[in-house]
Amino acid sequence: MSSIALSKNGGRVLRGFFALVVVFLYAPILILVIFSFNDSDFPSFPLSGFTLRWYRQFIENGDLRAALWTSAIIAAATSVGAVILGVLSSIALARRFFRGKPVVSALLLSPLVIPYLVFGIALLLLFHQIGISRGIPTVVIGHIVITLPYTILVLVPRLEQIEEALEEAAYDLGANRWETFHLVTFPLILPAVVSALLIAFTTSFDEYAVASFLVGTRSTFPIYLYSALRFPSQLPQVIAVAVVVLLVSLTVVVAAELGRRFAESRVGV
Amino acid sequence: MAWLGVFFVAPIVIVALYSFNVYTLFGGPHGFTLDAWHTVANSGIYRHLFWKSIEMSLIVSISIVVLAYPLAYYLALSGTRRKYVLLLLLIAPFLTSYLLRVLAWKVILGDQGVINSFLVWTHLRAQEHPISQLLYSRFAVMLVLAYIWLPFVALPIFVSLENLDQRLLEAAGDLYASRWRAFIAVTLPLSLPGVIAAFFFVFVPTIGEFVTPSLVGGTGGYMYGNQIVDKFGAGFPDWETGSVLALFLIIVVAILTALFSRFLQPQRVAAE
Repeated sequence: MSSIALSKNGGRVLRGFFALVVVFLYAPILILVIFSFNDSDFPSFPLSGFTLRWYRQFIENGDLRAALWTSAIIAAATSVGAVILGVLSSIALARRFFRGKPVVSALLLSPLVIPYLVFGIALLLLFHQIGISRGIPTVVIGHIVITLPYTILVLVPRLEQIEEALEEAAYDLGANRWETFHLVTFPLILPAVVSALLIAFTTSFDEYAVASFLVGTRSTFPIYLYSALRFPSQLPQVIAVAVVVLLVSLTVVVAAELGRRFAESRVGV
Repeated sequence: MAWLGVFFVAPIVIVALYSFNVYTLFGGPHGFTLDAWHTVANSGIYRHLFWKSIEMSLIVSISIVVLAYPLAYYLALSGTRRKYVLLLLLIAPFLTSYLLRVLAWKVILGDQGVINSFLVWTHLRAQEHPISQLLYSRFAVMLVLAYIWLPFVALPIFVSLENLDQRLLEAAGDLYASRWRAFIAVTLPLSLPGVIAAFFFVFVPTIGEFVTPSLVGGTGGYMYGNQIVDKFGAGFPDWETGSVLALFLIIVVAILTALFSRFLQPQRVAAE
């Protein structure tokens, strides 16, 4: 298409540039995939044959499995907690009018800009001061704070799309607050709730800075990775696990996005 | 709200109290002092690290905004039918593991890594002389940060270009503006809020970055964030000085946020 925005040649140049950037973005991931099957202790050229032993090693590695499991528990608890709080605060932000709303909404979103490192340290000092020992619950608390803004950012626009008339109709038909939420609002925001859960889960699963200050002696997956990166002998199996995690998360992200668009187009509000 | 009050505001207040020595890690005499602030303010090391971090973040954010603009422009204005698929393709890496993408670059850039071993293998470079500046340098930190943030930066720019009223461009065309002229006079100014938001969302988090520099930075790429972590880590913990450094970072971020807040509409970005 030729237009005032873009000439034909300009379009070609930009398309080429776009393709180059996509290559730049995916090449490192592709390289990890290649070297995860490479039969050598060092990830370097020339390639030395196909093997699955790095995958076997990581499956047999108990510490690594424990770390993955710990992260999964933390991420599950975080996503549920963050979404519950996120739904409550989003309804307040989208439906109610109260004094100081701009301040409240700024405060709710401010964890987006606070460096996680500083926040992790701050929570560490708080727990130290009130004498709570570190562990999985403290990490979950930290992660809920940092993922809450993301859930709100997903939920508020969705709530704003839904006509309040639907909720008012439910009230008129004699439904109480809970029934209205449960039968009308919730089903309508369900796609957004699912994306919010996924975003909170993936953010928490991958989070290093806050977790490293709050987890105490246990290891989450990112913490395990971080320390394993200092030992070259562990590198190949870390690459193998990296490939698995990257591909799973890429699939989940793409599926979730497509699913959300599909669901929202069907609900059609 | 109470949740954030307890677990977000309170911790930051405690950091502040540490920085004024009201609380201390080790017992002993303490009370409100400004000693830790004096120490930091008078130390060239901290100042140097801070400016170095600012400089690195600035270079990274400006370069990737410049790189991302044409990408967003292509998606929003070329009239391609698959624009949401392409957008997803662009952003998907950002939504996967941060640490694993850093790991990939560690594998690529190392002395025996993918690039150097490839060069040796193809006899472009002798085994004894790898390009050792690739890993553990300021360059490595900036490259990896750019790689990590690039997909994200395209998003706010895309949103602002997407919302641009195309009739304005057509009008410019009808008035015999050249494409270049239309871009400078119409498109660029109207997309500026997105550009500024994009810049902000990279610049702010990268100032406090410490994971990437500690994994690929070596001593050359050591940043302000690493200094804070070291103050709280093993070795010689100094929570008071660390708190001053942390609080200073929060203040800088708060000031930047206030300055940029006009241009930030996170809801608009998230809605896409």
